[in-house]
Amino acid sequence: MADLNGKKILACCANGAGSSLMMEKAIDKVFKKYGVKPAELRHCPVSEGKTAARNYDIVFCAKTFIKTFEDAQKSGTLVIPLKNVMSAPEIEKALKENGYL
Amino acid sequence: MASVLQTIVEKKHYLFVDEELTWQEAIRRSAESLVADGSVEPDYYKQIVSCIEEYGPYVVFDHMVAMPHSQLDAKEVHKTGIGFMVSKKVVDFGEDEDGEKKEAKLFFTIAACNPEEHLENIGQLMGIFANEPLLDALMEAETPEDILEAEKKFPVTEEF
Repeated sequence: MADLNGKKILACCANGAGSSLMMEKAIDKVFKKYGVKPAELRHCPVSEGKTAARNYDIVFCAKTFIKTFEDAQKSGTLVIPLKNVMSAPEIEKALKENGYL
Repeated sequence: MASVLQTIVEKKHYLFVDEELTWQEAIRRSAESLVADGSVEPDYYKQIVSCIEEYGPYVVFDHMVAMPHSQLDAKEVHKTGIGFMVSKKVVDFGEDEDGEKKEAKLFFTIAACNPEEHLENIGQLMGIFANEPLLDALMEAETPEDILEAEKKFPVTEEF
């Protein structure tokens, strides 16, 4: 199983103030449950995330923004689109499907 | 500390509407109470509308909840707060990228310029959005007293 400890995680939405912050909080909730200690967990707008994404191990975004991260995906970043940005269960499930937790 | 719903009532940041509204009108109306006390400029809603036009109705969540918002520290925002609106009629936001219908009756329109207050507001809203009995009760609210009553009856238990 892949280790999430020490990974760099980014949450993105259009403005970097609403849904990305909710994602960050929901991700943090999952990490606390499993005792995961990431190297970095932050949120930002897609305008910044588009170029920043390649420096992160995992990027979470609302489904509608998935296309923004095609380049980052090609350079090896795991991009996880979420249907419900504040759903800790959905985040947990997605991480498990990708070999984490 | 006051809960976000208590603050909404205290600051009169609420509106109850019974008319059919387009989603653009609904967003404008949901910010009216924030415009009334100078928390935001009258045209603040426009950037929220153009953002949804660009990216789709991603501010509409499950259970008839919408959280229209712009970025932190938009120049049209003077005070951090939440404009709450109950629309008796369902507001249609069209479909998302999966063809799923997006609609809302509860609006929590965010104005943010103070990062700490905003973080607290978002955390509390997540607790409200995860509390379906409370959301159902808020959809029936017609007065500010109903908002407080709903929160008393269905307190938020989940913390974020």
